[in-house]
Amino acid sequence: MIELRGLVKTFGDLRAVDGIDLTIGQGEFFAVLGPNAAGKTTTIKMMVGLIKPTEGSAVVAGYDIQQSPLDARKRLAYVPDFPFLYDKLTPLEFMQFTGQLFNIDPDKVRHQGAELARRFHLDAFLNKSIEGLSHGTRQRVAIASALLHDPEVFVIDEPMVGLDPQHARIVKDILKERSGQGMTVFLSTHQLSVAEELADRIGIIHQGRLVAVGTARELRDQSGRDEALESSFLRLTTESTESSEPEPTQPA
Amino acid sequence: MNSASQPSGLKLLAGVHLRQHWRRLKGVMSQSRLLSATILFFLMGYCWLSFAIFHRAMRFIGSFPGLGDLLIERMLFLLFAFLFALLLISNLVITYSNLFRNRETNFLHSLPMHPNTIFQWKFLESTVVASWAFIFLIAPMLAAYGLVEQVDWTFYPMTCLLILQFVILPGFAGAWAAIALARYMDRRAFQYTLLAIGLVTLAALAFWLKAEQVTDDMLETRVMLVLDRLLRNTQFSQFAFLPSYWLATAVISWSEGASSATLFFILVLLSYGLFLGGVTMTFPGSPFYEAASAVQSRGSGMGWPGLRFRRHRRSHSNDFGSGGWLHALLSLPWWIPLESRAVLIKDIRVFWRDTSQWGQSLLLFGLLAAYIINLKNFSAQLNNPFWIHLIAYLNLGACSLNLATLTTRFVFPQFSLEGKRLWIVGMAPIGLNKVIQIKYTLATLISLLVTGSLIVLSCYMLRMPWTQALYFTLVILVMSLTLNGLAMGLGVIYPNFKEDNPSKIVSGFGGTFCLVLSFLYIVGTILILAVGSPWAQQARPLTTGIAWVLFGMLSLGIGYLPYRLGVRRLKYLEI
Repeated sequence: MIELRGLVKTFGDLRAVDGIDLTIGQGEFFAVLGPNAAGKTTTIKMMVGLIKPTEGSAVVAGYDIQQSPLDARKRLAYVPDFPFLYDKLTPLEFMQFTGQLFNIDPDKVRHQGAELARRFHLDAFLNKSIEGLSHGTRQRVAIASALLHDPEVFVIDEPMVGLDPQHARIVKDILKERSGQGMTVFLSTHQLSVAEELADRIGIIHQGRLVAVGTARELRDQSGRDEALESSFLRLTTESTESSEPEPTQPA
Repeated sequence: MNSASQPSGLKLLAGVHLRQHWRRLKGVMSQSRLLSATILFFLMGYCWLSFAIFHRAMRFIGSFPGLGDLLIERMLFLLFAFLFALLLISNLVITYSNLFRNRETNFLHSLPMHPNTIFQWKFLESTVVASWAFIFLIAPMLAAYGLVEQVDWTFYPMTCLLILQFVILPGFAGAWAAIALARYMDRRAFQYTLLAIGLVTLAALAFWLKAEQVTDDMLETRVMLVLDRLLRNTQFSQFAFLPSYWLATAVISWSEGASSATLFFILVLLSYGLFLGGVTMTFPGSPFYEAASAVQSRGSGMGWPGLRFRRHRRSHSNDFGSGGWLHALLSLPWWIPLESRAVLIKDIRVFWRDTSQWGQSLLLFGLLAAYIINLKNFSAQLNNPFWIHLIAYLNLGACSLNLATLTTRFVFPQFSLEGKRLWIVGMAPIGLNKVIQIKYTLATLISLLVTGSLIVLSCYMLRMPWTQALYFTLVILVMSLTLNGLAMGLGVIYPNFKEDNPSKIVSGFGGTFCLVLSFLYIVGTILILAVGSPWAQQARPLTTGIAWVLFGMLSLGIGYLPYRLGVRRLKYLEI
């Protein structure tokens, strides 16, 4: 469902993403972890076609995102950390707009939209202007709208930011449930507990490289020590820093 | 999927945006009917005043025996040529921001929407935004022209058609230029380039259009020669390949009943519009996507070597103890408390690093300075004190209008932007009152430095005695204090903490109100001071005294009062 082949992105002299090879199967829940500025968001942007890779390719749902962007995007949903929503529309109107953009039958939009609104606890907000909604509610509107067209691949960046524990639980449950139904999920997060709880496999990106991939248990076992995922993560990202050549300092 | 009845992406986007704009308008109307009525009244007042001035000016110029029509025609050519250049620049800047610095564009790129469709929508949006002011500016002028030339009713719909055909051309040029610049240049380099182009153009124009010295002798004996010399430098506006030439010729031809000439230029505009439109609406998808990807991919690390060097040096200055030359400079006035100095340094740095702020200020006041410096070429003919004082008052008006534009654009949103950083500035022991006071002082000092210098220069060029120069300097001092107080006060009374973009903060209700009040204040002040001028023919000390009292009261009411109300509001502010 997602195939990243030798993905490289350079910004001037800096290699922000440095040769990532990764295959994620259908229905797999993949979480990517990494320190700040590790290259997670750049990888995601290349995956969804917002930026062109310097080298390599990203294939989503069987389509190369650069060669057949429209075919890929029809099967893809992307929710960034701060999703854009039209402030003066209501969530209901926004979902209708999304439905039309993805060419979904209006009856299906009505039915599916109502179901998603119910699941995401959005019923009370459906006819309120988006500009007056809290960050958490906006986040839920964005996720619900992105799920409307039943995407085959769902890419989400920091989904839990701004969500209270109850709504975070709902989002986790729905994503896990959809993953069980065959939707591939690629989730980027800083919350190790979220990755550990939800992901079938976890990848750790550091300094643009995929330094480790595996299940939470496999990552813990790599160290040969009985340690928490957090310790493995810290060790992997520290070791990787120490073993690599010092990066040339980039202009800020 | 429902392939049979899929609405086009363009239609969908148009629908969403129309709905958004309609709700925004309704929101504004429902906030305060009085304020909406004031703004409407102001707009109508502008149209009427602008029309009246153009009408009188054209009738006056048209009355020159044998030369009137020639001069009016040349005025039209010149005006359209300058407005065409301004349209090019505004289309470039607005399209660039709309295509490459816009969250909606990024959002749309992640959807199954062809880059062509995204581009087409953003192009239409940008062209409308960039062109409405042009239409607003020329509509009263063309109405006045029609009346002076006594045209029939067909002139007005024909002019509308021509203008629509015309404004789309700089839109196409701006869009392609924006794509090319985004592809090969980073944002800062783009801003500096634009500024450099603006300054070079200004310098070239100042040199090219430099007024020539005309002696009294020449005016009496060789009027045609003088006129020829004065008009020679404006011949560029009649260059046959300029779209502004096509528009002006078509308008003039229709007013003269030369319908075949008008038809010819309509077809010229149409053919260019169709050709460029065809190219722009068909092919930009791929270059647009490439450029958007380049903008997103470009940290701020790319750019020109000079810029890279500067940032490199800044990134290596890790000594927390050293604050640089600005810190050292502001340490000299020892009486300024440390915390006030910190806010001051921060504000100066933000101003300096925001090219758009000082770039726009520089261009606006640069134009005015170029005009004032050129006054020396005319002052030899200005023997009559009436004309000297009239020009001095007009210069005062132009200077303060420029200042009002800048205070509304840059001072008004200051508090709203600071609200975003309230976690640090608002929570600091310095207090918001002090922050507002520092911002006000800094803005006023910078304003005074520029406007005061221009007014002194204007008086010098007009060879006015120092007492009169002092008089006008005092007036601009009070006006600077007032306009900054108004912008700062209303900025606190009508804050917008949701927006990051200052231009969007200004385009809200408070910003518009600030602009309207500023303009009314300037018009009121100039009228009061002109009526009570100590150099009027029948000037009396009592009239001058009353004028100054009224001026003082108006300034207190428009400047001090909103500032005080703003400061008082800070006590009850909830963010």
